[in-house]
Amino acid sequence: MNIPAGISSVVFLASLALIFSEKINRSIVAIAGAVIMVGMGKILHFYSEKAALEAVDFNTLGLLLGMMILVAMLEPTGFFEYLAVLAARASKGKPVRLFILLGSITTVLSMFLDNVTTVVLIAPVTILISEILGVSALPYLVAEALLSNTGGVATLVGDPPNVLIGSAAGLSFNDFLVHSLPIVAFTWAGALVLLLHLFKKELSKQPRNTEAVMKLDPAETLNQPGTARRILIVLGTAMILFFVHDLLDISPSFVALESAAFALLWVRPNFQDVLKKVEWSVLIFFTALFVMVGGLESAGVFESMVGLLERVAHVPPVWFGVSVIWIVALLSAVVDNVPITIAFIPVIQGLGESGMDIAPLWWALAFGAGFGGNGTIIGSTANIIVTALSEKTRTPITAPLWNKRGLPVMLLTCTIASIMYIILYSTF
Amino acid sequence: MEINKYMKRNVVSIPETSTIREAASVFVKNHVGLLPVVDNNAKPIGVIGLRELLTLELPDFIRFIGDLDFVHDFGAVETTRPPAKVLDQSVKSLMKPAFTVSEDSGLLRTYALMLQHNLHDMPVVSKDGKLVGVASRVDIGTAILSTWAKVA
Repeated sequence: MNIPAGISSVVFLASLALIFSEKINRSIVAIAGAVIMVGMGKILHFYSEKAALEAVDFNTLGLLLGMMILVAMLEPTGFFEYLAVLAARASKGKPVRLFILLGSITTVLSMFLDNVTTVVLIAPVTILISEILGVSALPYLVAEALLSNTGGVATLVGDPPNVLIGSAAGLSFNDFLVHSLPIVAFTWAGALVLLLHLFKKELSKQPRNTEAVMKLDPAETLNQPGTARRILIVLGTAMILFFVHDLLDISPSFVALESAAFALLWVRPNFQDVLKKVEWSVLIFFTALFVMVGGLESAGVFESMVGLLERVAHVPPVWFGVSVIWIVALLSAVVDNVPITIAFIPVIQGLGESGMDIAPLWWALAFGAGFGGNGTIIGSTANIIVTALSEKTRTPITAPLWNKRGLPVMLLTCTIASIMYIILYSTF
Repeated sequence: MEINKYMKRNVVSIPETSTIREAASVFVKNHVGLLPVVDNNAKPIGVIGLRELLTLELPDFIRFIGDLDFVHDFGAVETTRPPAKVLDQSVKSLMKPAFTVSEDSGLLRTYALMLQHNLHDMPVVSKDGKLVGVASRVDIGTAILSTWAKVA
């Protein structure tokens, strides 16, 4: 390894370590890391400001920004609370039924919208429903996080790693529906059955009061029904456009931004309020990571890594893919899956340039990054959010509890994904 | 006008060794909204209000749901009592710091202090720091207003 490769690797790994330590806000670390990377690149002539700008994937940023604006507009309408209340009424207060319904709603929403927003909005209503029933909210909260992590892997827009992978590999929305959705559907069902088993004791406890749930009024949760309807129409149209975006030769990011622009024109909300809800720190984090990884690439780090990997590449490609699932999953369980995905993308691209068939590896990366997040209390943002929320209640979610209920789900989802990966990609 | 002429003198207080359960029964028996917590020397070391006790009974969700209009029935919450373990804790775990005034404090000054600290009742202490009474907003407010009749 030459000096630029060594220096850039140190900058990147030190930034990752700081992000992992959670001592400093991750976006602040990323900005500092990106600036140091460009600075070092200029001094040692391996990276330039122009190259750094080119390393930023604006397709990913545009798609995230567009979807964030749409969600920011949908959030205050009360639509999420509305769905949760409908689920509560449909369950008639029966715990198992409520568990499946709330888990399914959270999953479906997080397949098309940001997981984090979905969980942030569904979890408080979940606490309300379980308190008026007189049962513990813990099983429902844990399941919502785990099932939304799992379901989000199914679509291009369901999960930030998918957006990154789709953009880097040129995969369309439909590619995800064909390759990822079927495997995720099986995996999700497996996760649900396992969760029902793991929480059997809690869910078999009869609620003390089921009538109060039927008195919840869904109509009263919708404080802006007109706005909700408009945004849902725009979101529905966006989904149709996602289906045909490659036929129309437009990018998913164009679909998202066009939908956001249209919704803003139609609803004309207070734009300052919308902008406040957009997660700028996430967008900045992504941008800074792109710049850092661009530096690694310019310094030739990935070429030398690919050289190392080629030596192991005589393992059959299917087993190579399975190891990618597990390596990425284990890393994603302890570190944020976004930097892991951003770092793995150039490695896979490098393997492709050296002649390997990398099409299946993209899916391995998506499964590992998505399902790995189930493993620990800090594995995904959804986990962190339900935990933080539960810490403000009388029954907080603890790390040992997560290890007992979340870790098995991670192991099962990765196992099912691996088996299906082997079956599907060794026969084609 | 000094506060010692307008405060309640037969003040109910609880010793610092009381449990939450004991405090609750003192509230019920005396029908008051605030209890000074005193040490062995009758010096107030804190106060505990109905509000602090009732927080134990309130559900968690009211902190997360801004608009409760759609919840027409609190269901199981209405019949959920705090666990015995919590009721047997010392009042010190719920106690708030005691903001007191001395008995020679002026009425308007006392009222201003209550406004600033957002209190409805305030313990009054003697020179040596012992609890001698409780001043309520209503007592102080009406005492101040009663002087207006004499304004020519």
